[in-house]
Amino acid sequence: MNPILTFVVILIGFYGLSTSDNIIKSVFCVTIIESGVILLFLNLGNFEGGGIPILNDQLVNIVDPLPQALMITTIVIGSTVTALSLMLCIKIFHHYGTVEWAEVLRREDVKS
Amino acid sequence: MIHIPILLIFLPVITSILVYLFKWKHMNIIVLFSQLLLTIMAVIYFGHFYGQFENTHIVLGGWDHRIGISLANDTLSMSFIFLSIFTWWMVLIYEFSFGKTKHTFLFFLIFLQGVFLGLLQSNDLFNLFVFLELTTIIVTILIAYKKHGESFRAAIYYLLLNTSGVLIFLIGIILIYFTFGTINIVYLHETLTTADDTMVVRLSYLFLMAGISVKTALFPVFTWLPKAHGVAQSAISALLSGLIVKGGVYLFFRINFLYDNVGIDYTDFFFVIGALTAIVGVMFAVSQKDIKQILAFHTVSQVGIVMMGISSTDANIFYGGVLHTFNHAFFKSLLFLGAGVIIKVYRTKKVGEIRGVMSTMPVVSIFMIIGMLSITGAPFFNGFISKSIIKYGIQDTTWKYWALYAVNIGTATSFIKMSQIFFGPKTVSYPMKHMAQNITLMSLAFACIVLGNFYIPFTQNFFGIAYDQEFIHIGAFIDYGVTLSLGFLFYRYIISKDYRPIKTLREYKMSFETANYLFIIYLVTMVVYFIWI
Repeated sequence: MNPILTFVVILIGFYGLSTSDNIIKSVFCVTIIESGVILLFLNLGNFEGGGIPILNDQLVNIVDPLPQALMITTIVIGSTVTALSLMLCIKIFHHYGTVEWAEVLRREDVKS
Repeated sequence: MIHIPILLIFLPVITSILVYLFKWKHMNIIVLFSQLLLTIMAVIYFGHFYGQFENTHIVLGGWDHRIGISLANDTLSMSFIFLSIFTWWMVLIYEFSFGKTKHTFLFFLIFLQGVFLGLLQSNDLFNLFVFLELTTIIVTILIAYKKHGESFRAAIYYLLLNTSGVLIFLIGIILIYFTFGTINIVYLHETLTTADDTMVVRLSYLFLMAGISVKTALFPVFTWLPKAHGVAQSAISALLSGLIVKGGVYLFFRINFLYDNVGIDYTDFFFVIGALTAIVGVMFAVSQKDIKQILAFHTVSQVGIVMMGISSTDANIFYGGVLHTFNHAFFKSLLFLGAGVIIKVYRTKKVGEIRGVMSTMPVVSIFMIIGMLSITGAPFFNGFISKSIIKYGIQDTTWKYWALYAVNIGTATSFIKMSQIFFGPKTVSYPMKHMAQNITLMSLAFACIVLGNFYIPFTQNFFGIAYDQEFIHIGAFIDYGVTLSLGFLFYRYIISKDYRPIKTLREYKMSFETANYLFIIYLVTMVVYFIWI
């Protein structure tokens, strides 16, 4: 997979963030951006025919293990962010009865 | 001795877990004890390594120093560590003065301290990313802690916008790693000294900077800040405005130190961004009527002034900006905590409905007035010193000088508006039993006055720079008087009339989509500025 394609994934995420007015869609878009970044990192660290970086007797011609180690951390953080933001979505739905940014803003004004 | 940085990170984390797991009755004492231990360790560490901070670089776990997790300190990071420990002392004492604090709240509050100290000491870029993201997550929980609909909306706005910013920061790290093969800041600085000024280096710089700009709340992407800082509890607002925003500022100069030999000319760009941040922040601030919203928008404008200072390559102006981050931390925490007391007693946040604070609670009002004098830049208070350093540094360029002057007038206007709350008859009763609160406010006010008069030893020891210029002279008083009177006239004849544009400005709320759209535009502007020109 070409690294340029991962940039396309990231741009799709940003396009979604700047157009969708649904909070859950925004959460998805952040996840998409994050997947794009992870794919970019793994892509650049990989090469065709590279072996898996696990200690065994044939430790030659392996891919760089560092990007994979770092990206596991990023995935963990990303799942935390997703979980937390979905929880906030549920709470917003309980308070306002909607998960649309504009509608939440309107009902907030009505309340105050 | 060299491993104290690890303890500085893990002691608050362990304390917070103990507090959460065991739910002791007297956990306040344990928390304060651990805080005391933290302070002592930081002081011993600073004393031991004073003058030889290049030896503090450690790599954890015995890994290769180019890729392992590493920590390092210098005087600048130590000064920020002391600032954060001090702010946490204040916030903890303030919170405890209200009686029973919830375990879960305390857990997140103290955990955040460990994470933030990690952010300050981290010496590799990936850990910076991890700590940045951790701060974002914990701060989100703290913002949402009030469990109002408004706070949930502010929290998710903050979380999503900052996460997308931090992910852009991560792209910058990726580019650096695959260009130079290391993410350790110390080694990277050596490598970058000899590196060519290529497209990839510039791209990595601007991706890192774009991520940091979101965290710092610079001009087009500041919209998360006022809402988030306005709806949180007062102690949390003080912490966020005083300190957590400075995490972004701190990263700004860490990354700029990294790239200082590459030859990227960022001064004008970030000065303009800083000036725009300051002016837009002040414009929104003068239109607000909610006391916490006013203070939150002033955080935006003061961060703009800090950026005006630290975007400079001249050491004097640069450290003026750094000094302003400290001063801002003190007076903004003071104002937010004082406002918290007032809001608690009056049960309203509207400036128009609060009257007679002076006769109801004289002690709190005196400290609030000290905070207001500091933020507007009165002589003998700390805001004056750092603003003067920046002002004298940039006064050769006319438009820069007038931009700063306009911000000062705006600041004066909105604090003249806020000072109305002191006048009037006594309307509510206030039991004088919150000793701890007054101690907190007093220490912060004391810090404002001390830094306003004895700043030279401070800047000498921490920044290695001595300002021999005398700032307090008759011209400074006249200048301050003129600023105040212009602010008063501006308030009396324009703001208090509440014309339609001011109302529109006050009720304007930027939607999340627009904020992201602006972020993309900001990114494109940076690409155009740093790569094509």
